[in-house]
Amino acid sequence: MTADPGPVGFLPPEQSPVALPTDVVPRGPAESGAVQPGAVPPGAVPPVAKLTERPHPLTPFIRGWVVLLALVIGIGREFVPNGEGPRPLPPLEWILAAVGVLALGAVAAGYISWRFTRFVIDADELRVDTGAIFRRSIRVAFDKVQSIDVVQPFAARLFGLAELQIDVGSHERSKLRYLSLGRAYALRDYLLARARGYQAEAATSTRSVSVLTDLHETDEVLVQVSPQTLLLAAVTSHEFWGIVLSGLVFVGVGLAIGQWWVLLAAGIPTISGLFGFVSRRVTGQFNYTLSRRAHGLRIARGLTSLTSQSLPSRRIQAAQLSQSPVWRLLGLYRIDIEVIGWGAVTDNEDKSGVSTILLPAGSFAQVQVALAAIWPLADFTTVELSPAPVRARWIHPFSGPFLRWGHDQYLVVSRHGWLVRRWQLVPHARVQSVRVTQGPVSRRLGLADLEFHTAGMHIAAHASGVDAGVVLERQAELMALLHQHAPDVSDPRSSESPGRNGDQAGPDAFRADQAEATISSTE
Amino acid sequence: MTDLFTPAANWQRLPDRYVTVRRLGALAYNLVTTVVVALAVGFIVDWTWAGGVAVAGLAWTAWRVIRAGRWVRTFGYAEREEDLLITHGLWNKRLTAIPYGRMLSVNVESGPIDRAWGLARVELVTASVQSAGHIPGLQQSDAAVLRDRLIAAGEAQALPL
Repeated sequence: MTADPGPVGFLPPEQSPVALPTDVVPRGPAESGAVQPGAVPPGAVPPVAKLTERPHPLTPFIRGWVVLLALVIGIGREFVPNGEGPRPLPPLEWILAAVGVLALGAVAAGYISWRFTRFVIDADELRVDTGAIFRRSIRVAFDKVQSIDVVQPFAARLFGLAELQIDVGSHERSKLRYLSLGRAYALRDYLLARARGYQAEAATSTRSVSVLTDLHETDEVLVQVSPQTLLLAAVTSHEFWGIVLSGLVFVGVGLAIGQWWVLLAAGIPTISGLFGFVSRRVTGQFNYTLSRRAHGLRIARGLTSLTSQSLPSRRIQAAQLSQSPVWRLLGLYRIDIEVIGWGAVTDNEDKSGVSTILLPAGSFAQVQVALAAIWPLADFTTVELSPAPVRARWIHPFSGPFLRWGHDQYLVVSRHGWLVRRWQLVPHARVQSVRVTQGPVSRRLGLADLEFHTAGMHIAAHASGVDAGVVLERQAELMALLHQHAPDVSDPRSSESPGRNGDQAGPDAFRADQAEATISSTE
Repeated sequence: MTDLFTPAANWQRLPDRYVTVRRLGALAYNLVTTVVVALAVGFIVDWTWAGGVAVAGLAWTAWRVIRAGRWVRTFGYAEREEDLLITHGLWNKRLTAIPYGRMLSVNVESGPIDRAWGLARVELVTASVQSAGHIPGLQQSDAAVLRDRLIAAGEAQALPL
């Protein structure tokens, strides 16, 4: 890995907006990708020749390492005694040779793929060329970049490398793997700045990249969730109790029919399932931090594999708060969001890569701060919620007493759930259409259901068991709110087009105060 | 007539010819399904069961054919200033409001039966798959005019996604 430590940025560090005190920016082959010879020397302001970059030269070794690890684990299992007596195995030399050949093959494949991968990220274009046999060149318009995520799987993390994922809103993300962590963060910052229309300079490495978090001194930390809270939330969540209950049912059945071995057969998977569940929740969201930098919101999380994802607030279609039964005593909430092109909601806390969890577990104040971060203009706490009429219990025997719905200028809020309480929040600005439905029984009872259709599929916002008279009364108002040309809920305080929402300063200022107060209380 | 599912607006109904088309469609679809299911049951289980399936299928077909007239009469759409309203359903009534500004595209389709009767179906497509802004059984000339009106309104009032 003796790469050319040539210039990486297109400007000397002192001109770059992202670069901080330049004397401390260490630069070497480990930090910069390999650079084509003939690069523009530092100081030449407009780059004339295209400067193409390659991913980090260690990339093939990491891919080889992943294969090696998988093989070692797979073969190692064969050596573990499993109570069936020794199994005939080929001699150790053969195994080692086979493993070596496979790992080398993976390295070679990784090398070829690395050799043919080049990317250009400069003032004019964002282009990624890949493929040895089938060449492929992807060019992305800067303003179409929706979000950029920096993901560090465990193997890459050991070497201080990271993967850059570029989301342009299509079903597929372009991935650049692997770059040095500093380079990945710098490119991410640059691309996000460009995506928001700033003519930023192509950035050099950013300094002060901690191993555990992606935080910068200029970042404003909005919400931080401690591992203790995560652990507490995992142990008291309804999913946890679901696993416990299913185990207990098995044990109960086993005892009832007098078969003691069931105790063991049900107990072991239940306990390992519980451990797995809790550790996934805790390691996946470890050090969860929601922060705001100049060019947008960002979530950083993870213990073994670190993910830093940017949050395109305009693409958030709906949010769902949920609360397990025990969480009601603890005052904990969780927020899931639906973002166009991000796929399924929930159950993805263990994966490295993007997740649709806005807040894994947090207090009500943190919920408010997180929601104010994505929708600065809206405040769901002030939305007046009206309960479903008592006769709705004929159709919703369990959840009937807990059904609520309401709306204000910005949001539609509905509450559901008997054991697990859920609040669905949809901004009018994201509602594609509204539907009123009524079945034969509802008609008898004078009830109706409302559906709010968004571009997402997973949080199906609806209000059940609403008084038909109320719907009739509010119909015109609801439908008018659908096509209001008011400022967008996700417009940040410092909107790029001042004057458009100047009259909205009141609630904004209020939100900001609240955010400040909460930050200081969480720190 | 102002109630929950037909707010005051200039409601348009479907042409009576569409009843025939819908009946034929129901007949074709249900009979084919019934025959396939009955044969499958007959070969796999028993021919007495197959008879039962056939009778049930025929009853279902007859029900749909009889109800087609009433279903078509409940269907209505209204073009308001800023949104399109669509209402339909006999037992499960529904009213959908789609702002023109959310329009992504407008589709006009017509299948073989539709074409034979000179009808077409217009669909207002939004970013949400649940919107389901279908209007079936329009005269082809009306469908084309409606499509152009929807497109014009959608472009004039476009809302950000």
